[in-house]
Amino acid sequence: MDRVDQFALNSQIPADTLSATRTRRQLVRAGKQSLIVLGVVALIAWFAMSVRAGLAHNGIGFDMRFLSQVAGFDISEGYAVTAHGLRRITPSDSNAQALLAGFINTIKTASVAIVLTTLLGTLVGMARISHNWIVRQLSFGFVELVRNTPMLIQLVFWYFAVVLKLPAMADASTWFGGVIASQQGIFFPGVDCAPGATLASALSLLAGLALLAGSAAHRKRRKWLLGGSLVALAVSVATGFPLMVTAPHVNGFVVTGGFSASPEFTALLIGLTVYTAAFIAEIVRGAIVALPKGQWEAAAALGLSHRAAFGDIVVPQVFRVVLPAFGNQYISLAKTTSLGIAIGFPDVFNVYGTVANQSGRSLEGVIVVMLAYLVLSWVISGSVNLLNSRLLRNGGTR
Amino acid sequence: MTGAQGLARWCRRNLFASPFDAALTLTFVPLCLWALGRLLIWSFTDAQWHAVTDNLRVFMVGTFPLDMMWRAWASVLVLALLGGATMGLVVTPPHHPPVLQVGGFLLATALGTVTPALGWTLACVTASLVGWAGMGMWPGMRKGLGFGWGVGLIGIAMLLAPAGAERWGGLLMSLLVTLLASILSVPLGVALALGRRSRFASARIICTGYIEVMRSLPLILIVYWVWIVMPLLTPDLQVPDIARGLLGFVLFFAAYVAEYVRSGLQSVPCGQVEAAASLGMSSSQISRDIVLPQATRVVMPALVGNVLDIFNTVPLLFIIGLTDFLRAGQMVLVNPQSGSRTYEIYLFMFAVYLAIASVITYGSRRLEARLAVGHR
Repeated sequence: MDRVDQFALNSQIPADTLSATRTRRQLVRAGKQSLIVLGVVALIAWFAMSVRAGLAHNGIGFDMRFLSQVAGFDISEGYAVTAHGLRRITPSDSNAQALLAGFINTIKTASVAIVLTTLLGTLVGMARISHNWIVRQLSFGFVELVRNTPMLIQLVFWYFAVVLKLPAMADASTWFGGVIASQQGIFFPGVDCAPGATLASALSLLAGLALLAGSAAHRKRRKWLLGGSLVALAVSVATGFPLMVTAPHVNGFVVTGGFSASPEFTALLIGLTVYTAAFIAEIVRGAIVALPKGQWEAAAALGLSHRAAFGDIVVPQVFRVVLPAFGNQYISLAKTTSLGIAIGFPDVFNVYGTVANQSGRSLEGVIVVMLAYLVLSWVISGSVNLLNSRLLRNGGTR
Repeated sequence: MTGAQGLARWCRRNLFASPFDAALTLTFVPLCLWALGRLLIWSFTDAQWHAVTDNLRVFMVGTFPLDMMWRAWASVLVLALLGGATMGLVVTPPHHPPVLQVGGFLLATALGTVTPALGWTLACVTASLVGWAGMGMWPGMRKGLGFGWGVGLIGIAMLLAPAGAERWGGLLMSLLVTLLASILSVPLGVALALGRRSRFASARIICTGYIEVMRSLPLILIVYWVWIVMPLLTPDLQVPDIARGLLGFVLFFAAYVAEYVRSGLQSVPCGQVEAAASLGMSSSQISRDIVLPQATRVVMPALVGNVLDIFNTVPLLFIIGLTDFLRAGQMVLVNPQSGSRTYEIYLFMFAVYLAIASVITYGSRRLEARLAVGHR
């Protein structure tokens, strides 16, 4: 409608009638709004009252004190957080400690899996558009197989049909000079404090690493920071390097030294990594395919080889596009760690199940666990958003 | 150019374009051939498939009572008929006299007198063909299909009810939960999507909050939570586990459906809404008659994908003690008679999951192609 027409129309209606109509409309809207709010509040109140009544019916009240009670059950792996740092969780720790240990396990699994799945997924995504027919078909088959079968069957397959079918500790062979794969777990060489470590060497190592990290972040002073880090590292080596690599050793049935991953953790990690990698691969493939063909052609016209065009032209643009989609996959991965209960991995949901069984506080516990997952999801989406905004700012306007 | 030359050129271009490509080819081709050969040799010599065939009933229906087996078969028959008819929507059926179907039914009856399982299987295949062909013969049936599914699912529930809901299991239960959850999550999802775009800030905040919280939590937690809360809400009524699990699925997947629907709604140009408003339509009329029909077209493929998502997450119902297809397999695995045949059983389960997923994906792709016709 034209502005002139509108004016003509309005001018025929007295101003006070117009404002009265408007006020009435506003009142009706406010009334509807408050009705919606009232309805939802009533629903929640009804829900809370019914739950209370139901609990009272069963002779229990709502009570969070179970958190400070002694858990009294063993958790196969996990750490208790104390004032003196981390230590192995024991049955005499409280329920809250047990849940926290489970949450730490969840975070640990999710963060390692996120790193691995990004690498694997990007690799498979690039293989999906490879010039090599066999690589293309293999990666296509991988993606279809993984995306079209339930995560749970993949998880139990990795656990029961792969990890638990590894040789027993006594027969396990050592791979790559230090990795032992057995059905009792996977053991890697680890880094430990060297016996003759001095404070000076430790400090200079830390300083060297800090400068190295700084050189990656600050482009302008990269040369100076890199040089400083080299000097600091050299000092650290000269004063007796504070760290040493320890290879795992089999002593009868026990392995000492190095990092160890339990069979449950290994299976969950492989399962999550492989499953999410298929989705990441499709995101990467989609982003590369969606890139305007002109980019490739312009690079070719400038005389760049296919690989140089890919590395210098395509990848930087693709990573700007895929990050939000990656973030969704990371959140979904973090949520999927809850399937660990199917193979007995003590993640927060599994520990909650045991706590609920032992203390009978299933309803109160669920609130704690829900909060844990909400925080995890929000932290992941928040950090991805932060990274994304930084990436966009550094990359200029697009 | 002869065939051999063409092949050589194809190989050069697709397998040996660069030294790196050649290295990849020379690594992967022998590796694949070796793995495939090992698999084939194993499946024809060492593999003992009787571990699967002996337990086929457990895989399909779990611990369903033996003497009520005909009820399970009859419900599969109904599912096959409706599934075939639905397939007729997206894959054009041929127009020819129903010789095949009649012959199939006669053969099924004949076989059924000897081996009931084989007879029933053939009858189900024939029923799906009947549904498919019927859709081509009487296109008017299209409108009644939704009604047909409603009646069919109620009929199946009534067929299976005498066995007791706690005895439902296996692939049949997986399929039923998938169907019910996919259908029931749509109305709630649409309501949430409309609420998220509502004029009222309160409705927007509530719907957005629900969707975001649901999407931040694992399904397994929602299902478990609903399972413990439901009896508190209805102390006098014993709700079966399967209904509680289903409610958890509906509440969870409604949030996802809402997001799909929202993206569909956003794809409708706002000129459509403005044009409808200028014609004097009310906002509910605009939603119902203008926006939703256009959005449906965009949303449909995503909703079919949602069905596959639901089907692939049904195994999570193990958490409340239900025996779906995967848990039935785990039950077979712990059975000492067949327990050592791990790989046969997993291979079978993967194959079944892949087969069903392929059918759904194929349907989704055809549907997408169909809906795209005449779309701007």
